[in-house]
Amino acid sequence: MYIVLVVGAAACCCLGLACWSPHPSGEQLRRAGWVAGLLAMAASVILIASGGNAGLPAYLAAAASGLIILCAPPQARRLMPIAAVAIGLAGLALAVTSIRPPYASLGLGVYPRASAWRASLLIQSGVFLAAGLWLIWRARHSRPATAAPSEEGHSGEGTGRWAGRGRWSRWGLLLVPAAAIAVILIDQQRGHPAWKAAAAAAIVALIVVALVRGAAPDLAAAGLVVLGLFAFLYVLAPPLIPHRAATPATAFAQPKPVSGAPQGKLQGDFSAAPQSMPKGDFSASSAPPEFLPDGGVYVSTDGPLELVAGIEAAAILALGIWLVPRTIGVRARTLLRPEADAELAGRVEQLTQTRADAVDTAAAELRRLERDLHDGAQARLVALGMNLRAAERLIPTSPRAAIALVAEAREASSRALTELRDLVRGVYPPVLADRGLADAVRALALNTPIRTETDIDVPGRLDPPVESACYFAVAEALTNAVKHSGARLVQIRIQYSAAAHSPARPARPAHPRLARPFRPAQLSGPAQPPRGLLRIEVTDDGTGGADPARGSGLQGVERRLGTFDGILAVSSPPGGPTIIVMEIPCALSSPRTSSS
Amino acid sequence: MRVVIAEDLFLLRDGLVRLLQAHGFEIAAAVDNAPGLLQALLEHKPDAAVVDVRLPPSFTDDGLRAALEARRQVAGLPVLVLSQYVEQLYARELLADQAGAVGYLLKDRVFNDDRFVDAIRTVAGGGTVMDPEVISKLLGRRARDEPITRLTAREREVLELMAEGRSNSAIAQRLFISEKAVGKHSTSIFAKLDLAPSNDDNRRVLAVLAFLNS
Repeated sequence: MYIVLVVGAAACCCLGLACWSPHPSGEQLRRAGWVAGLLAMAASVILIASGGNAGLPAYLAAAASGLIILCAPPQARRLMPIAAVAIGLAGLALAVTSIRPPYASLGLGVYPRASAWRASLLIQSGVFLAAGLWLIWRARHSRPATAAPSEEGHSGEGTGRWAGRGRWSRWGLLLVPAAAIAVILIDQQRGHPAWKAAAAAAIVALIVVALVRGAAPDLAAAGLVVLGLFAFLYVLAPPLIPHRAATPATAFAQPKPVSGAPQGKLQGDFSAAPQSMPKGDFSASSAPPEFLPDGGVYVSTDGPLELVAGIEAAAILALGIWLVPRTIGVRARTLLRPEADAELAGRVEQLTQTRADAVDTAAAELRRLERDLHDGAQARLVALGMNLRAAERLIPTSPRAAIALVAEAREASSRALTELRDLVRGVYPPVLADRGLADAVRALALNTPIRTETDIDVPGRLDPPVESACYFAVAEALTNAVKHSGARLVQIRIQYSAAAHSPARPARPAHPRLARPFRPAQLSGPAQPPRGLLRIEVTDDGTGGADPARGSGLQGVERRLGTFDGILAVSSPPGGPTIIVMEIPCALSSPRTSSS
Repeated sequence: MRVVIAEDLFLLRDGLVRLLQAHGFEIAAAVDNAPGLLQALLEHKPDAAVVDVRLPPSFTDDGLRAALEARRQVAGLPVLVLSQYVEQLYARELLADQAGAVGYLLKDRVFNDDRFVDAIRTVAGGGTVMDPEVISKLLGRRARDEPITRLTAREREVLELMAEGRSNSAIAQRLFISEKAVGKHSTSIFAKLDLAPSNDDNRRVLAVLAFLNS
């Protein structure tokens, strides 16, 4: 009997750990959890159906369901929710019909009063019913292929409405049944009507959940672990319940021998301290306890009932263990690194901003392209076609006019080509595509009407988007120097350093919640090259006075660089010189291939 | 005159072949990729090569690099590079060896077949042909520099045409002045730019380009 209990509990704990651990062998542990879960369910069904007297059939049923699982795991998975629903329905039927079985309990607890028994029965059946229905709903509507948790099904109540508050916050609702069961377990030792206290506890728990949604899952997880442990203790050493205790305190401290109840039906010496009583005294029990009209005391000590109680204890404990790393664990990790949250919030804000900027910039670029093509090359090609058609008509009658038109058409095609060329240069400069940033900036310097010196040390190619952003940033800085500064000399220095980039901006958020979803992408993609820092410095000897706040050009550069976590700094005192520094964390994607 | 053509777009390649055949050129090879170009250049050692900058396999500047490589192995191999865009960076690389016999033109220049064919002949003869766009950018860049500002407007025109690689007679025709006048202008230009005078067309062009590129 105890071996079964211990195995079940171990399996449940394994299941809880398996769900937590990302290790691939988790799948096997999960399957072990399924085995244990279904065994337990089958045993419970048999026990309830037989009114608690079916020790041997319960074990047989458990063995049979074990066979089912071993031979056909998918069927077992499908049977599980049905079994849960069956248990729930059976429990409800018991509670409603008031037929008291000789063993007055569904699982945890033996109760001095019918009301307490019924309250416990209703709650536990409700949990089973809800869990079963939830599992069935889940199998129907969501991922049918994934393993639905077994014992964890308890948590299914009301998940839908609460799901919006983050993935784990809905687990806070578990606090409600946990509180109710805890109160019943504690209260029955005092001999009070349990259902009022249980209802009160449930309502308090509900209020707590509503008020502190953030902390409720943590409380629920902690509560479930404590409750599970307590339930195990309860099963291993069932308390003796005094008859008509004068006060709860004394009743608990000094259990008296039962009076008014048939003494012969009770086992053991009740004057001894109940907690220290060896279990052997109870396991020897042969006569069934029973309820008395006046609410007398009966302790269940026989095997099958302990099995059910043990299963429930294991389920609660497993659920608690499973939940701890998901609620308290996350919070603890956050607490250990208090800066992580602030960092994360800042990062999220920054990403939101730069993403919006990137989308806006891309949309504006496309719009500009469309307009340029529409008004430029497209219009010229239309004119070209018309000219050629006119020439075609003129050839027989006035060939000289036709020749003039054809010459015009050739001119038009030339102009269209020039426009297209300029457009392409603005979209993605061909040298940039051919040679990368270093040569593209050198070419840019050659095209600049004032003397421009370059000092570029980039030992490879950057990612194309970064390259493009850097190129246009330099181009903008150069354009400003030419247009506004009156400078005679511009110097461009570009250096790539492989050292870790600015500590102010982490490459990846260190927060576990954000870091985890990124992992699959990183694993599936190619190995990330180490990120370094690209530093671009554009200096001119002009009159200074450049202000990024006034011109839209440098602001655009800043936004564009921001998409890559790059930064821009401008120093331009009146009278000059103007120094524009840009820093972009990035990786070199390939070694240099250019021939120059 | 034997010519190697490298162009990856079939229609353009075919058009170039027809155009040059119509003008009496013999097509030694017409290839569509850079490795093929290098092989054809080394194998045929043609009188001139017409090369597109952007070629397979990587569709960047493979054509240019193959041409430069061929000129490294066969000094002064005449190469006329065509491109959808002109870059001074590439012009510099072509001119770097000071051997002449190079040309760098926009693809549109093919529209004017007479001038295009002239350009091929100039390059084949060891001359240098630069696209007007390259020259105007070079001049634009030096516009504020001291020596250039000393030139008269007419002298600047002559300088531009000289830099494009035209002979004195071609310049005279273009500007509707006598060849003698062109000669006078060019002497004046060389004096103002502090360059050693030269009567040889090729060396003159190279000197001017070297000055502008400095």
